[in-house]
Amino acid sequence: MEMNLENIKVEDQEELQRNVFFITLEQLKSWARSNSLWPVQFGLACCAIEMMGVGASHYDLDRFGSIFRSSPRHSDCMIVSGTVTKKMAPIIRKLYDQMPEPKWVIAMGSCATAGGPYIRSYSVVKGVDQIVPVDVYIPGCPPNPAALIYGINKLQEKIRYEAKTGKRVTNK
Amino acid sequence: MKGITKGLAHTLRNMSKKKMSYQYPDEPVPMPDRFRGIQKFYPEKCIVCNQCVNICPTDCIQLTGKKHPDPDRKGRIIETYDINFEICILCDLCTEVCPTEAIVMTNNFELADYSRDELFKDLQWLDENDTNVREEN
Repeated sequence: MEMNLENIKVEDQEELQRNVFFITLEQLKSWARSNSLWPVQFGLACCAIEMMGVGASHYDLDRFGSIFRSSPRHSDCMIVSGTVTKKMAPIIRKLYDQMPEPKWVIAMGSCATAGGPYIRSYSVVKGVDQIVPVDVYIPGCPPNPAALIYGINKLQEKIRYEAKTGKRVTNK
Repeated sequence: MKGITKGLAHTLRNMSKKKMSYQYPDEPVPMPDRFRGIQKFYPEKCIVCNQCVNICPTDCIQLTGKKHPDPDRKGRIIETYDINFEICILCDLCTEVCPTEAIVMTNNFELADYSRDELFKDLQWLDENDTNVREEN
């Protein structure tokens, strides 16, 4: 079916633009996805304490539609909160592989970003991006709950931006 | 039925009370004065004593200095100053050890980014980061 838009009068077109909300399907999907980011509920170190603080009533992550899920199969976002040791790395990869597409990863804290204070350690992975692709990095040791909320909002922005323009956020 | 009434009574009682949660993205969160956010650097105050580099537990600070352009004056001035904020653990030791208060802490914590390269903060960035500077250092 083809729509003939040329024959519409100017007034009618204005009327249409006032009343009909045009959006691409991708944008609609990204709007829905970004407002229901369900993170996997798992913590690795002290950053997890701040992550629990975000979930509690003072910071209240549920306001943004993010509800912690106990199973990776329910969730579409992973907050890597804490030090990733070499023993833990395959388990994180497995959790990531179990998540259904589309999926995003937030590296929370210095340890997950680059190794942090354990950068000279023999047993710590220097950044979780060596195992899983990371979308947002939040520095801090640990980042306070508001910084994590900022990071999650940044991820929502990224999802919407990528759906709107089709470009990746990093090479703007 | 009794349970529902009890629950609803609790909900109605709490509806008129003050809200518990911070309205964070709409309103800024009040931070205490001892909060440790990202550093602010004053290049004109720095005397290139290298104490911050030596004390940094994760070796995330790099600096280079040069001789003072005025030949009559002694001392050195700063040329480059980089903080690798990927591994900075905000321990506050660099600001404690600085003899001229050239590096101070701010209350800025909104630093999340899409790329690790953005977390490498250079002299210009740290100089321009002049909001919410902590009063007591």
